[in-house]
Amino acid sequence: MPLDTSTTYPLTRLRLDGRRWNELRLLQAQISTNPASSGSSYLSMGNTSIMCSVHGPAEGRRGDAAGSSGAVVEVDVNVAGFAGVDRRRRGGGGDKTSSRIAVILRSTFQSHLHTYLYPHSTISIHVSVLSSDGSVLAAAINACTLALVDAGIPMPGLLCGCTAGMSGSASTPKDPRHDELDPLLDLSLPEEQELPLMTIGTTTVVPGGEHNMDDDEEETTVALMTMDSKLHSTYTETMLAVGIDGCNQIRELLEDVIKGSNRG
Amino acid sequence: MTAQRQASSAAQTPHLSAAELSYLYTSLSLPNNPIRPDGRSPTQFRPLAAECDILPGTNGSARIGFADGTQAIVGVKAEVEKTTLTADTLDARSLSLQSDLGPSGDGREGTEGSSAATGGHGSWVQMSIEIPGFRDDDALPVFLAEMMRESLVGSVGGKDGDGIERGMAGGLKGRLVINKRWHWRLYIDVLLLSQPLSYPLPLLSLTTHLALLSTKLPKLKSQGEEDPFFDDDWAVAEYLYPRASAGLKFNPSQQVRPPVTLLVISVGENVIFDPNREEIAVADAVLAISVTRDTESQGLKLLTIRTIDPPSRLTQPGVPNSENVNMLGATAPGESVAVLNPATGEEEIPGVWRPRRGGVKRSVIAGMVKTVLKKGGVGEEVLAGLEGVQVG
Repeated sequence: MPLDTSTTYPLTRLRLDGRRWNELRLLQAQISTNPASSGSSYLSMGNTSIMCSVHGPAEGRRGDAAGSSGAVVEVDVNVAGFAGVDRRRRGGGGDKTSSRIAVILRSTFQSHLHTYLYPHSTISIHVSVLSSDGSVLAAAINACTLALVDAGIPMPGLLCGCTAGMSGSASTPKDPRHDELDPLLDLSLPEEQELPLMTIGTTTVVPGGEHNMDDDEEETTVALMTMDSKLHSTYTETMLAVGIDGCNQIRELLEDVIKGSNRG
Repeated sequence: MTAQRQASSAAQTPHLSAAELSYLYTSLSLPNNPIRPDGRSPTQFRPLAAECDILPGTNGSARIGFADGTQAIVGVKAEVEKTTLTADTLDARSLSLQSDLGPSGDGREGTEGSSAATGGHGSWVQMSIEIPGFRDDDALPVFLAEMMRESLVGSVGGKDGDGIERGMAGGLKGRLVINKRWHWRLYIDVLLLSQPLSYPLPLLSLTTHLALLSTKLPKLKSQGEEDPFFDDDWAVAEYLYPRASAGLKFNPSQQVRPPVTLLVISVGENVIFDPNREEIAVADAVLAISVTRDTESQGLKLLTIRTIDPPSRLTQPGVPNSENVNMLGATAPGESVAVLNPATGEEEIPGVWRPRRGGVKRSVIAGMVKTVLKKGGVGEEVLAGLEGVQVG
């Protein structure tokens, strides 16, 4: 590839798609897109677009011993054949990436939702990746959150996902004197393929008490953090900080979507 | 879930009692004016919302949602592929005399490969359907995909009266030919986003039609037998199915269009379009009829008719009072007299449900085809409606 981030970024301080290091891609979302499900959403972050539908809480299948204390979350991820740049050949069953995303989503939302309110029931989430251009997991988290809000399933706060990376391979310890590497927010597919990447999901805990609602300072907790690439440990803090900041930006956008759909 | 997976016939049967089935059947088979459960006329479709060109990463895409919440998304991707010469094309080389695709390259290759190279090959179009709850290799998705693919590759365009090519000679297969050595391979991926509430064929077929209408292929810059080289400006890309424009003389009703497959059922003598699940459950026969525009005459032409296993034969029969032990003595003799059903030619007691055995009269099939094909008929209405969806 003639243009890659690690060679051009230090010169221009602009990424492949013209963003600066701390800029998100255009995020558009809609909820209640599918009347046949309990809750549904469509979310696009840049060219990554995802549809999500939630069924339930409903009575689980018979023979499910689990779930007696709370609802069981089931996640089914389907990456469409036309999602990538080249058309993917489908083998029978799921492939590795989609089942990995499904496992992460299930464990995240299983612990995030107030599942104890719905014993003996199942909440099934169906995620369709219509086009994937990086940060698929983060986009899937956001889409699921919107669909779960639409389905009216109680949760302590919006769970928002975002990716963070570094503008170089970052395999050597950070040098505080001449630090050339910038952290990057919301990576696209070409960036994701060559740079270290971390997916972060945060949630806000709505504080108890009467006056806490007026506070701007909400307590943010990291609900999910996953990283596949190799990175020197001195950089993790920077990436984490950028990722959390990105999640906060996304949270505001998602709140707008939810409030906006009430009006219309 | 297991019940859904086994559903290989028209759709999973709704749980209706024999009395309900009989009631539905009677109202749908009323001579000349059937009463449908949702109040539609026999040829009326369910309301739907459609949009196309929704995914920037595909060559063409479309989404259709029915009012009941079933939605489908179709993405079309095209790849360039080298044409391989098979024994098949060698045998058929005698048919390749009409080869008129520019100057032939070197003589040997020109004669051997030209039948596939000019006519195209059906396997260049691949179709896959994903339905939640079904595996890729389950009977229903495979059957549906093959049914839609065969009418797609089977439709062949013609030339108009002056013998001028319409840019679409040989139909879709011909359009995929780049030159004698290269061709396009078309992948059509259909995604059903919700559980199939009714037999999904009409939804999938309409969405595929729309996606193909919006499909664009990059403009070819190389000429003749060179290795293909394309213009990287997407704005000048050409539609797979050429669209009406001011520069072209012929009218839009004569252009080659992808086929649509309509689901039609017969109940008694009545012909009903776009049936919902309850209506399919009492159908005498379920037919999938594929039509496309005929480029020679102004009208439509029939491509395929397929019968689909009607789920009504799996239903439980009702028991007439005369045979019901509980009702012994409660019925007057002669109250339930078997009457000959004119549609099926079987003896039936009115008001008592009997599972359909299948089979349909020729006149009913003729009636179906006529309703689809006639001028201003259902087929034209559907095609015109889909054409009206804004592309680009």
